Amino acid sequence: MRHRLILNNITHTFEDGGIQRTVLNNLNLQVSEGELVAVMGPSGSGKSTFLSIAGALLDPKGGEVLLDGESVSDKNKQELSDIRLHKIGFIFQSANLIPYLKVEEQLTLVAKLGNMNKRKAAERIRELLDMLGLNHRRSAYPDKLSGGERQRVAIARALMNDPAVLLADEPTASLDASRGMDVVRMLAEEARELGKSAVMVTHDERVLPLCDRVLYLENGGLIERK
Amino acid sequence: MYLAIREMRFAKVRYSLIAIIMLLVAFLVLFVTGLARGLAYDNAASIQNMDATHFIMEKDSNHRFTRSQISEQVLLQASSIVGEDNVQPLGVKMTTMTAEGKIGKLDVTLLGINPEGWLMPKLTEGAAITATGTGQVLVDRKLKDSGIGLGTVLIDQASGLKWTVSGFVNHESFSHSPAVFLNEHDWQQLQLTTITTPSATKWTDSTYNAVAVKANTHHKEQLTAVLADAEIVTKADAVSAIPGYKEEQGSLWMMIIFLFIISSFVLAVFFYVITIQKSSQFGILKAIGTRTGYLVRSVALQVLLLSAGSLVVSMLLIQATESILPSGMPFLLQSSTMALTSIAFVTMSLVGSLLSVWKVTKIDALDAIGRTAA
Repeated sequence: MRHRLILNNITHTFEDGGIQRTVLNNLNLQVSEGELVAVMGPSGSGKSTFLSIAGALLDPKGGEVLLDGESVSDKNKQELSDIRLHKIGFIFQSANLIPYLKVEEQLTLVAKLGNMNKRKAAERIRELLDMLGLNHRRSAYPDKLSGGERQRVAIARALMNDPAVLLADEPTASLDASRGMDVVRMLAEEARELGKSAVMVTHDERVLPLCDRVLYLENGGLIERK
Repeated sequence: MYLAIREMRFAKVRYSLIAIIMLLVAFLVLFVTGLARGLAYDNAASIQNMDATHFIMEKDSNHRFTRSQISEQVLLQASSIVGEDNVQPLGVKMTTMTAEGKIGKLDVTLLGINPEGWLMPKLTEGAAITATGTGQVLVDRKLKDSGIGLGTVLIDQASGLKWTVSGFVNHESFSHSPAVFLNEHDWQQLQLTTITTPSATKWTDSTYNAVAVKANTHHKEQLTAVLADAEIVTKADAVSAIPGYKEEQGSLWMMIIFLFIISSFVLAVFFYVITIQKSSQFGILKAIGTRTGYLVRSVALQVLLLSAGSLVVSMLLIQATESILPSGMPFLLQSSTMALTSIAFVTMSLVGSLLSVWKVTKIDALDAIGRTAA
C-alpha cells in the first residue's frame, strides 16, 4: 500500500524564555492511501506544530516530510506555496472560508491559483458540490451557511486541486455532535474513495470510531492506544 | 484580480465611501490645478503669449519689466548678435486711466510694441494699429465689461495723453490688469511726458523697459558677454517676477501638493486598517497555497481601481463644472496638465498602498493553524 504522507524522525524545538523546549522529538508517521488518522493530545502537546510541519507551513529543525514520496525540505517560499496548493488540502477550525466569495467561487479561486483549465474547473466544482450535497447552496455567501455546510465547503475546497494529503485542524470544534459526526464521516469517505491520506487533529472523542487509527501525541512522539 | 474585484463587489458600502473621498480629493486637485493654471495665465498672459525665449533687462532690475530701463543702443547691439528679425523692443508701464464720458478709473498695463513685429497680438475685433498712425490703441476684451467700446477715448491719468480704442484683443493681461497696446511712436511720446532722471539709470536715452529676443544658448552667451550692463532673463523667470505671480502660484501649489499627500495618506490608512482586519484571511489564503505576489497584486489593483475610477468621474465633473463657471473666472485645464496631474495622483495613491503591501508580505501562513475565527 502506498503511503502518501510520511514523516521521518521529525524534531522541532522552540526557544521559550531562554530555554530550549523540544516540542516534537523523533516523531514518525506514515499514512497510507485512503486512511484517516486522528491525532489527539492535550493543549500544548504540539498538535499545531505537528500539523504545521506536515502541512509544509513550518520547516522542522530535524527530519523530513515526504508528500507522495517527494521531500519538502530545502524549498523556497514560492515552491512551498505551490506544494501546499497542489499536494495538500487544509481544513481549518470553523472553516475559515473567504467571506466575500460565494460557495462556488471559493472553489474557483483554488482552481485559478492552480491554473486549472476553466471547463475542467467548472466540471470539478459541480462534481464536488454534488458529492458533498451543496449544490443548492452554490451561490450563497459563507455567512448565510450553517456551520456544517461551511465545513463541507471547506472539505470541497481542500479537495479541489486533488491533493495527496488532507489535513484537518479540529474540524468539529464549532459544530454540534451530529453535525460533527456528519463532517468527519464525509472526510473519512472522501479520503477512502479518492485515495487520500488524511490526518485530523481533534479533541472530539465522539468522532474517533469513524477514524481508521487514533494516535496520541505524547512527549513529542505519536503513540497508538488500543 | 479575482479576489480584488469580488471583495469590492461584496463590501460595496466600505469601498464606495473611500471612493467618494478619493473622488472629492481628485476633484479638488483638478479644480485647484485648473485655477492655478488659469490665474497664472490670466496674470501673465501677455508675456506668456509672446514668442520670445529671453528678455534683455537692465541689471539689478530683479527681472522686473517695470523696474528695468533699456536704451536704443542695447536694442541695436542685440540685433547685431541674434539678427534683426529675432529682436523686438518692449515697453511696459502700469497705469491708471479714465474713459472719456465714463465715471470710474481703470487699472491697465500699457505695452509699447512694434505693430509690424512679432509681439503684435492677434486682433479679434476692430482695426489693427499701425507703426505710423498715432493715438490708436488695442485693448483687452475684458475692458468691454467696463463699458469700453470701439472708438472710446482713454485718458492716461499720469501723462494726460489721450488714445482712441481701435480694436480688441483676447487674453492679454499683465499682473491681472488688462493690457493696452500702443505703437512705438505713442510709446515715445508717453516716455517724453514722464522724463526719467538721467542719473537714475545707466543709459541716458532709455526708451524701453526690455528687449524681447528669440535666442539659443549660443546667442545667450554672446549677449551676456557683450551687454555688460544688462541681464538676459528667461521667459519663465520674467513671468514669475511679475508682481504677485509667485505669491499667488506658491499658495495654490502648496494646496495642490498637500492634496496629493492627503490622498496618499487617506488611501494608506484605509488599506492599512483593512489589511490588518483581514490578516487572518490572508493567512488562510497563504496556507492554502496563494503566493504573496498574488495578494500584493490584489491590494495594488484595488488601490488602482479606486484612484483611477474616482479620477475619471472627477474629470467628468470638472468638465461639467468648467462649462458653468462664470467667464470672469480664470480657469485653464489643458489636457496635458490634466494628464500629468492624473499620473501624479495615481502614483501617489500607489505610494499610499505600500504600507499595506508591506504588511501583507509580513503575514505568516502559520497564523491559520489553531485559530478559531476567520
